[in-house]
Amino acid sequence: MRRRTLLRWIASLGSAVRLTGLRAWAQTAAFPGDQGPVLAALAAIVLPSELGPDGVRAVAQNFERWVRDYRPGAEMDHGYGFTRLRNKPASPAPAYLRQLESLRPVLNGDAASSRRAIEAALEEAKITDLPRSPDGRHIAADLMAFYFRGSDANDLCYRAAIGRDRCRSLAGSDNPPPELKA
Amino acid sequence: MTTHECDVCIIGGGISSAMLAQKLAELRPGISITVIEAGKKLFDLENRMQYRRRTIDYAENPWPGDFIEDQAAKGVISRTMAVGGSALHWGGTCNRFSEEDLRLKSLYGLYTDWPIEWKELEKFYCEAERRLGVSGEPSPLPEDWRSEPYPMAAMVMTHNLKELKQWGEKSGIPFWSTPQAKNTKPYDGRNQCIRCNTCSICPTGARYSPDFTFKRLLARKNFALHDQTLVRKLTLNDGKTTVAAAEAVNRERPGEPIEYRAPVFVLASGYCWSPHLLLLSNNSRFPNGLANRSGLVGRYMCGHAFLSAMIEIDAKIYPGMNEQHGLISRQFFRCKTDQPFIRHDLRIWESASGHEPRLRSADGRILLGDSLLADWRDRAKRGTARVRGYYDVHPDRDSSLTLDVTSRNRWGDPLPTIAHKPDAATESRQQLTRQHFQQLFQTLAKSNNGKILSTGAGNYLDHPAGGCRMGADASTSVCDSFGQTHDHENLFVAGSPTLPNAGCTNGTLTFVALTLRSAEKIATHFRSPA
Repeated sequence: MRRRTLLRWIASLGSAVRLTGLRAWAQTAAFPGDQGPVLAALAAIVLPSELGPDGVRAVAQNFERWVRDYRPGAEMDHGYGFTRLRNKPASPAPAYLRQLESLRPVLNGDAASSRRAIEAALEEAKITDLPRSPDGRHIAADLMAFYFRGSDANDLCYRAAIGRDRCRSLAGSDNPPPELKA
Repeated sequence: MTTHECDVCIIGGGISSAMLAQKLAELRPGISITVIEAGKKLFDLENRMQYRRRTIDYAENPWPGDFIEDQAAKGVISRTMAVGGSALHWGGTCNRFSEEDLRLKSLYGLYTDWPIEWKELEKFYCEAERRLGVSGEPSPLPEDWRSEPYPMAAMVMTHNLKELKQWGEKSGIPFWSTPQAKNTKPYDGRNQCIRCNTCSICPTGARYSPDFTFKRLLARKNFALHDQTLVRKLTLNDGKTTVAAAEAVNRERPGEPIEYRAPVFVLASGYCWSPHLLLLSNNSRFPNGLANRSGLVGRYMCGHAFLSAMIEIDAKIYPGMNEQHGLISRQFFRCKTDQPFIRHDLRIWESASGHEPRLRSADGRILLGDSLLADWRDRAKRGTARVRGYYDVHPDRDSSLTLDVTSRNRWGDPLPTIAHKPDAATESRQQLTRQHFQQLFQTLAKSNNGKILSTGAGNYLDHPAGGCRMGADASTSVCDSFGQTHDHENLFVAGSPTLPNAGCTNGTLTFVALTLRSAEKIATHFRSPA
């Protein structure tokens, strides 16, 4: 009797795991689902206003694409010096959707209160620094990491067309990079 | 069991193997050469731009499938096992050693001398530079003489490097462009570098990697490359000391063992897997493994230690112009014989360290959007130089690679464990070395209102080598200067394992130069073409 219960429990666990995996896959593929407006409101606060509304929208859309193209379980770089085999963790999409849902009511107010709400959410998530790359702990930090750690933000910071992550010619690299066009 | 016969059987498919096979095929076009590699062929240049993008965006492995899960060694610095080896993802740095590296005993009374003259090695450095396609600027120091110019002009010194060179030279230390196996013009059928800033996965082929050589060799009818094939043991001819066969297994067809038979065998599996295979190949006549009558297989494992600093300076540095290209000084390659022994290279790169975006201000406030950008811009007004020195350390006999019976691959073979140990003389000068570097970093920082942001010491030895060290005396070495083992006439070891010590700068060019020299000796086993 006990054995049968255990087997039934294992079988149900298997189905639950499969169902959870399927849901995560669906949430990733359809990200951000109906949370698009919340993500847009978040982007307007955590990204620099110098980008302009179109620029902010473009970054948010690139981030959405980044989430949709995420490959859980993909091999990660195994490093040099300190080497270990690792795989990409599960998709951050389900966590992002939950976080956006909880931000939904607080991102409707004025900019100052929205900022305070995001700060509180980051404090609660115990995020102390900008992640090296989005790591799924909180969407606000990850959206900022996605943009500010990228090549375009590097250009904006230095107001120069450095193009760190682009393939460029060697020619002219002995001069300072050209000024960033507005 | 399948039997495969060839004239030269090369075990391992990295850079030494590629260079050896290429040169042997030129010297003796009639002989058949087979290269056996445990890892996969990753010859998909057309996908590398996409892999690069995934690495930048997601930190995914730029060389998917370049490792074997159950073939892991403790103490290695790279898990890469694939055709091309570590030189798939190397930075392409092609520094030469200096004569002092070969004359430690006679010049300084330290460690040992190499059984080869500098002038002899220099010839093969030139050949290695030609074959790899090295772009470089000659050293201004007369001791660094070279008999041939670099095959290509040096990489353009970016605005950042020009600023850093100017800064570095204020301390009286000359710096110049680091030589690299990267094309500054189309070379040897490969593209010119287009500054992708991701040399560990070069999407254009401008940085040399051995897959290009292997692909070319595969067009020859008497060349074979057997990938995913693990050699588990070398066996000897009955009653003789010559190697008869390499026993192997294909990872895809584990039920069909393969035997490779050849008049000449070459181990070109690097510092880890070459001594490992010799130890695994023990038998009743050679209970300690092959080529190991001296007891030195897996001994004197070497590499160089390193110290680094991030120095903030008044200079307009734009991080990301070409982070993979840096400056070198060879000023400290030599030290006077009446002074404390400290030898090292000195390198400078652009860096964003200390000036990266951050989530919290110095007083702990969370920064979002505009405030984050303003904070970043304010800190980015100054530049950062990344400075590093590889310094010369010498191995103890007990700096070892051993078989770890508690860790086995799926075939049951014990896997290797490497534990580096410096010799007593190296230990005794550690403190002085650190003081020297601290002073050096401070001297550099004095210019341009510099400030040392951080210093660090490497916790591993870089560019590892050794395990089958060369020497003239069979009782104190595993092979001669050509890599021919003292114990087995037809068994050679190529490249990194043969180095007695690892110098004080990147080793790959030296591994290749020694291999090219070995190729000439190996060729003498076969009749030259009419």
